[in-house]
Amino acid sequence: MSDTGKIAQTPLFDRKANIRGYKLNKMAMALVEEHNRQAFKDNEEAYLDRFGLDAVTKAAVMSRDWHEMVRLGGNLFFILKISAIDPTPIISIGAAQAGMTPEDFIKNRLGK
Amino acid sequence: MAKLIGGLGTSHVPSIGVALDKGQDQTDYWKPLFDGYDYPKQWMKENRPDIAVVIFNDHGNAMFLDRVPTFTVGVADKYAPADEGWGPRAIPHFDGAEDFSWYFADKLVENHFDPMIAREIDVDHGLQVPMELFFGRPEDKWPVRILPIWVNTVQFPIPTPQRCWEMGQILRAAIESYPTDERIVVMGTGGLSHQLQGTRAGFLNEQADRDWLASIGNNPGKWRDLSREDFVEIFGSEGAELIMWLVMRGAMDASVNVKHTHYHLPASMTGAGCIVLENA
Repeated sequence: MSDTGKIAQTPLFDRKANIRGYKLNKMAMALVEEHNRQAFKDNEEAYLDRFGLDAVTKAAVMSRDWHEMVRLGGNLFFILKISAIDPTPIISIGAAQAGMTPEDFIKNRLGK
Repeated sequence: MAKLIGGLGTSHVPSIGVALDKGQDQTDYWKPLFDGYDYPKQWMKENRPDIAVVIFNDHGNAMFLDRVPTFTVGVADKYAPADEGWGPRAIPHFDGAEDFSWYFADKLVENHFDPMIAREIDVDHGLQVPMELFFGRPEDKWPVRILPIWVNTVQFPIPTPQRCWEMGQILRAAIESYPTDERIVVMGTGGLSHQLQGTRAGFLNEQADRDWLASIGNNPGKWRDLSREDFVEIFGSEGAELIMWLVMRGAMDASVNVKHTHYHLPASMTGAGCIVLENA
């Protein structure tokens, strides 16, 4: 959701986000079941269509655009399940949202 | 009557569980974190709890956004580890402290506190990781039965810090009126500073984390009186999980002895720490 709320650069997962991201999060939540993980791997677009995702959201998922998925109401705890199927380190997901390379993100944000 | 033997707090970062799964706890990256848990593990061995009350949040594993209970009390006789998308982890099921859990649910409602009551539900890393950190990973059976308490920290409105504290006070009264001689430990989990979402992702606040560990023992009021937004601002959007330590702290005496604190930064994207408190 929007980063322009009360706390700088920090989306609060609230009513607006719940409504905007509901289908996206529901699709991702279903990936806790092995048969859905398989369906996602077999034909990602068909799997996404089952949950009625709009074109913009579908494109964000299929391009693994984490910043955009969060902007569209995705909550990280749900969309993280996509990264279990298509392995993406959490640090890369963080870096993508911060608009940094993983290397810069580790150095500048995580102080390593 | 049952006895409250202590209150512990800890982070519940999922990658800690992954490090254990991969046998990486003695690597250069992870050893400094795990070393800080030697004392709490030893403390548990010496203090022999029968029941662990574990306060944590689900991370989109056992609960979806179709219904979002602010507080949930587990009353099951058994809890399976949740499959969070990577497949189930090779850790034993958790035995539930069924009788005490129902007793606590009764006490909450009698005291005008209205949780969801759950008897068939999986537990995710929010509970698994603290259990592994404080008890070690057993071959086939955990040394305690559990009473899990879920707090919604994912979707606003999350509960206020004050409300978490009040739940802790009812928990304390329930322990002290429970007619067995069981020994009960309370574990508040979550935090410390971290933020996984938005352009501030990767936000850490070492100074605030150290301040938290230094003052949650004997000046908890300064945290209890903050707003939820303060927690998000100071500790990050997911660091606001720290409100759950206030359930534990609210269950303890006003005056406590801080037996141990430990802090390590970063564990994955999180400031990680733990504390061991005994009533003074």
